[in-house]
Amino acid sequence: MTSDAQPLVVPRKPTSRVRSALIFLAFAAFTVATCIPAIGGIDLDFGALIRNWSNGSGLLSQFFQPDFAFVPRTMGPMLETLQMAVVGAVVAAALSVPLTLWAASPTNPNAPTRVLVRTVVNVIRSVPDLVYATVLVAMVGVGALPGLITLFLFDLGIIVKLVSEAIDSSDLPVIEAGRAAGGTQTQINRRSVLPQTWPLFANQWLYTLELNVRISAILGIVGAGGIGRLLDERRAFYAYDDVAVIVLEILVVVVIIEIFSNFLRRRLV
Amino acid sequence: MSLSTTSRRLGLDLPERPSKLVPTIITVVVGIIVLGAASALPIPWDDLGSLPGQVVHYLGLMFASPNWEMLPQALFETWRSISMAWIGAIGCVIVSIPLGMLAATGVGPIWVRLPLRGLFAIIRAVPEVIIALLLLTITGLTPFTGALALAIAGIGTQAKWVYETIESVQEGASEAVRAAGGNTVEVTRWALWPAAAPALFSFALYRFEINIRTSAVLGLVGAGGIGSMLANYTNFRQWDTVGMLLIVVVLATMLMDAVSGAIRRRIMRGPRAKAVAAPTGRAARKGEEHADVARVS
Repeated sequence: MTSDAQPLVVPRKPTSRVRSALIFLAFAAFTVATCIPAIGGIDLDFGALIRNWSNGSGLLSQFFQPDFAFVPRTMGPMLETLQMAVVGAVVAAALSVPLTLWAASPTNPNAPTRVLVRTVVNVIRSVPDLVYATVLVAMVGVGALPGLITLFLFDLGIIVKLVSEAIDSSDLPVIEAGRAAGGTQTQINRRSVLPQTWPLFANQWLYTLELNVRISAILGIVGAGGIGRLLDERRAFYAYDDVAVIVLEILVVVVIIEIFSNFLRRRLV
Repeated sequence: MSLSTTSRRLGLDLPERPSKLVPTIITVVVGIIVLGAASALPIPWDDLGSLPGQVVHYLGLMFASPNWEMLPQALFETWRSISMAWIGAIGCVIVSIPLGMLAATGVGPIWVRLPLRGLFAIIRAVPEVIIALLLLTITGLTPFTGALALAIAGIGTQAKWVYETIESVQEGASEAVRAAGGNTVEVTRWALWPAAAPALFSFALYRFEINIRTSAVLGLVGAGGIGSMLANYTNFRQWDTVGMLLIVVVLATMLMDAVSGAIRRRIMRGPRAKAVAAPTGRAARKGEEHADVARVS
C-alpha cells in the first residue's frame, strides 16, 4: 500500500555520532591524563582503601563515640569563632556599601573607577579563603587577626560582586527621575538607589554571616584562631572522640545560624 | 512633636510619624553585640595602625620579583590539584545523580526520599576540610585522599541540585510515558533524563570549578597539590616563591573557570538544550546563582 507513496523520510539525528564520539574522547583523554602520577595526576589506589581500612576503622569508630565531657573546653574557642564571624561580617558589610555602588554601572557612570573596583574585587575573589589565612598567619602572626582579615576579604568579594550585579541587571527608573529633578549622582544613590537595594544588601550580609561561621570553624587549622585550632590539636593527639564533639558542635551552630538568618530573611522580604 | 504643631497650625490632618522605637532597639542591640564581640577578641587593636604598612611590605616581598625558577614544579603541582578536582567531581557526580534522582518527588518512595535528603543536609553542613582530615586516617596524606574528600563533600550540594532539577522538569513527558505503559524506571529513562541531562552535565562541570578552589584548600592541610606547596613555602618564609605561587593559583583558577564556564554555557544554551530550556530554567538559574557564590569558596 505504502510502497507507492513517498518513502518515509526520517529526519537526521540532531547530533552527529562523530561529534559525540569526539567530545567523549576529549573528556576520556582528560580523565586519563588526571590519573597519571608521573605528570602530576592522581594515583587511584583503591587497594589502599582496603589494605589500610583497619588503621582508620579504629579511629573512625572512636569518632562515632563522641566524648561529651569535652564540651566545656570547646566553649571558649567556639565563642571566639562566632566573634570572628560576626565582626568580620559587620566590617565587610559596612565597607561593601560604597564599594558596591562604585562597582555597579547605574550608580557609577565613571568607567575607569568602575573597572578598577571590579578588577580588584575579582582578584580578591579568586584566592581561596584558607590560602589567605595561611599567608596572613605568616604575615601578622597566629591568632584571631589573620582570621578576621580573611573573613573580611572573603565577604567583601561576595557582597560587592553579587549586589553590584543585581543592581546592574535591575531596572531602576528612580535614577532617571532623580537626574530629571537635577540631583547629583551621590544624591541619587543616597536617596533613591540605596533605599531600594537594602533588601539585596541585607540578604547577602546574612548569607556571608552564615558562610563566616562555616569558614571560621576551619580557619584555626592553619593557625587563624577559633575552634579550628582546638580541632587540629585534638586530631594531632588522635583524640577522635574529642574531634567528633567539635564537629558536632560546628554542625549545631551552623544549623542554628542558618535557621536564624532564614527567619530574618523572611522578615525582610 | 514639631510635625504635629506644624500640622495643627496649617490646619492639616497629617498622620503620626511612624514609630522608630523598634528599629532603634534592634540597632542598639546589634551594635552592643558587635562591639562586645570585637572587644573580646584577642586582637592587639593598638597595633592595627601598623598593619597596612606591614601588608604593603610583605606584598612587596612577594610580588616585586616573583621567583619564576620554581615555575615547573608549580605547574606540576597545579596539574595535581586539577586532577584532584576532576576525579573528585567525577566521583561526586557518579554517586549524586542516582541518589539525587531517588530523592526527587515522584521518583523515589517517601521512606527513601526523606533519609536521603537528611543525609545530603548533613554532608552539606560538614566542611570539606574536616572530611579530608577524617579520611587521612585511612588513606594517608595523598592526593587520592583529597579527591575522595572532594567527592564525598560535594554529594550534599550536588544531589540537592539533581533532585531540584528533576522536580522542575515539566510533567508532560512523564505523563506520556506513563500513559504508554511505562513504569518508574522507564519514566526516568525516557522522560526525566532527556529533559534534565543538559542541566545535570552543566552542574557536573560546575562542581569541577568549585573543586578547583577547594582542592587548593585541601592541599593546605596536606593532601598535596598547589596548596601543599604554598603552605610549605609560606612556612619557609620564601616570599618570592609564595608570590609566584599565588599568581599561578589565581591565573590557573581563572583559566579553568573560563574554559569550564564556556562549555557550561554551550551545554545550557546550545541547540540540544533549546527544547528543554523552559523546564530547567529554575534550576539553571539557581545553578548560576550558586556559581557566582561558590566561585569564591
